[in-house]
Amino acid sequence: MGVIQSVIFGLQLGSYIAIAAVGFTLIYGVVNFINFAYGEYMTIGAFMTFITVNQWGLPAIVGLLITLVVTAVLGWIVSRIVFVPMQGTGAIPMLMASIGLGMFLRNFYQLIAGGEVRFVDIGASQFEFDFLGGFFVSTQHILIISSAFIIFALIHVLLTRTQAGIAMRATSHNELLARASGIRTKQVRRNVWIVASALAGVSGFLIGTTTFVSPLTGFNQILLVLAAAILGGAGSAYGAFFGSYILAFVITFTTAYLPTEVSGLGETLAFAVLIVVLLVRPSGLADVEVEA
Amino acid sequence: MSTETPTVEFSDDRLLWAVGAVLVLLGLAIIFSGLEFGLSGIILIVIEVGIFFLLYALLVLPVNVQFGVSGLVNFGPVLWFGIGAYATAMLASTGSYQGVTFGFPWPIAVLAGVVLAILVGLLLGVTTLQLRGDFLAVVTLAAAEILYGIVEKVGGFGGATGIGGVPRIFEAASFPMTDLAVTFVLAGVVVFVYALAQRITDSPYGRLLKAIRSDEDATEALGKPTFRYKVLVFIYGAVIMGLAGSLLALYNGAVSPGFITLDVTVLVWIGMLIGGAGSNRGSVYGLAIIMGLQLFTRIANEAFPVSQSQFAALRLMIIGLLLVLIIRYRPSGIWGNPEEREVL
Repeated sequence: MGVIQSVIFGLQLGSYIAIAAVGFTLIYGVVNFINFAYGEYMTIGAFMTFITVNQWGLPAIVGLLITLVVTAVLGWIVSRIVFVPMQGTGAIPMLMASIGLGMFLRNFYQLIAGGEVRFVDIGASQFEFDFLGGFFVSTQHILIISSAFIIFALIHVLLTRTQAGIAMRATSHNELLARASGIRTKQVRRNVWIVASALAGVSGFLIGTTTFVSPLTGFNQILLVLAAAILGGAGSAYGAFFGSYILAFVITFTTAYLPTEVSGLGETLAFAVLIVVLLVRPSGLADVEVEA
Repeated sequence: MSTETPTVEFSDDRLLWAVGAVLVLLGLAIIFSGLEFGLSGIILIVIEVGIFFLLYALLVLPVNVQFGVSGLVNFGPVLWFGIGAYATAMLASTGSYQGVTFGFPWPIAVLAGVVLAILVGLLLGVTTLQLRGDFLAVVTLAAAEILYGIVEKVGGFGGATGIGGVPRIFEAASFPMTDLAVTFVLAGVVVFVYALAQRITDSPYGRLLKAIRSDEDATEALGKPTFRYKVLVFIYGAVIMGLAGSLLALYNGAVSPGFITLDVTVLVWIGMLIGGAGSNRGSVYGLAIIMGLQLFTRIANEAFPVSQSQFAALRLMIIGLLLVLIIRYRPSGIWGNPEEREVL
């Protein structure tokens, strides 16, 4: 397999991890806890792929937009019920509650949808190229990678050019100071839940088009998303973005180039990278201030 | 003013040690006497679930001393469990279908497993115990995932099949008798470990650990070497959890990646939180609730042969819901002490 092909696969994997990692890290920064149920938010998006594309026969791009709205609303409702009343109890209790919530949702999906794996065909066409060692690009790759880049552009604009986004950054950086400056942090947190849930939905949708849809689709990715977000510097959207692509390249290149005895170790190596980074530089790539 | 000498009151644990010894002896008696009698199907299911309850109790007690007492978020108990299990299995196995084996006598294999668990505990402890609480959770979680990845993917660890051919040192006259004997032996070991955990918690060292949980900086300002104490807690935990893994290998005769998944960590944590982090007894009871639900669904499933996976999903939904409700409405857990809840 040519280098270019590995780069394309890396970009594809990195893109859907990154979309989720940005949402994950926004929650971490603003609501202040590691949300282990985030994978289950992604799974809703994956099921939306199956419903909109397979059952309703809509084009993928329309399905993506519907998914965005549906997951934003559902994610916000779930968070409103579980996490909003717990605000202020601390990082560890909320982390534990998210484990319980994830377990509940995962098995709820299992109960209503069954454990079987569903495949979604978005009718992608494939373009093959013979130069540079030979590689192919499909419309699916283009959909995923371009969605990611469009989303980052939007998130960047949100965080730097809008009142709501600047309030998010302020709250993430120092909640008390933000509140003292007249920012309604409660509303900021609500906005973050909506944005993060939508991002989880989009990521889940894209995963649904590439791999498969099952009650565990999101859960299978959560550790990678978590690793990418922490690697980038917890709370930093830009860090999460770069962290995701770094992990994705580690994974695709190990799979492509290492000898077969260890080539399955891509994800394992990604976790090793995470541990090393946390030890050497607990603030992550983006050099986020970390309270000891 | 009269000076009072502070005294340390240990809860009298001689009774516990005696009970533990009796249980272990009972188990050994079943093994060596070649005793045999019939056991009904339901009893066998109870024993089977009971064995895993006891093995996981050997994880929940150290995790409780680490988190409940000292406030260290060790999210990778299955890492040490797995190290003990795989080290013992690979060193002691006399021939496995897959994977590298050495065929050493089993006591050496157990010892090596525990030593390896200590080394990993030391390495992780020294490097990560300075990190913030939730980062420590991430590192221990990631380390456990790395172990899982290695044993599943790297040649020599037996892949998905795992390592077989481990000497089953608890072999009794028949298969049900073996399980019964193992239940007694493990119950004895759990009682010993409970007595130890209780002693650590009540000792001056335990009070220091609680002080670290409440306010590490203040404790350090009092001149206590908090870092060394935290590393020590990690090592004590490593010994017990590694030993639990060794016992799994020697009872089961085989280990595979399926025994060391993230689910084990989650189960242990949920058990502890439901029962009450900080209370050794509470965390074991909490684990018993979770395993009791598992037992109930197993038996109910036997009675109504509907879809097994739907039943399991329902059970896990209940556990998840229970956890959320407990964290929300009784953060100190059912048997925890609400006055001692800085961590939760």
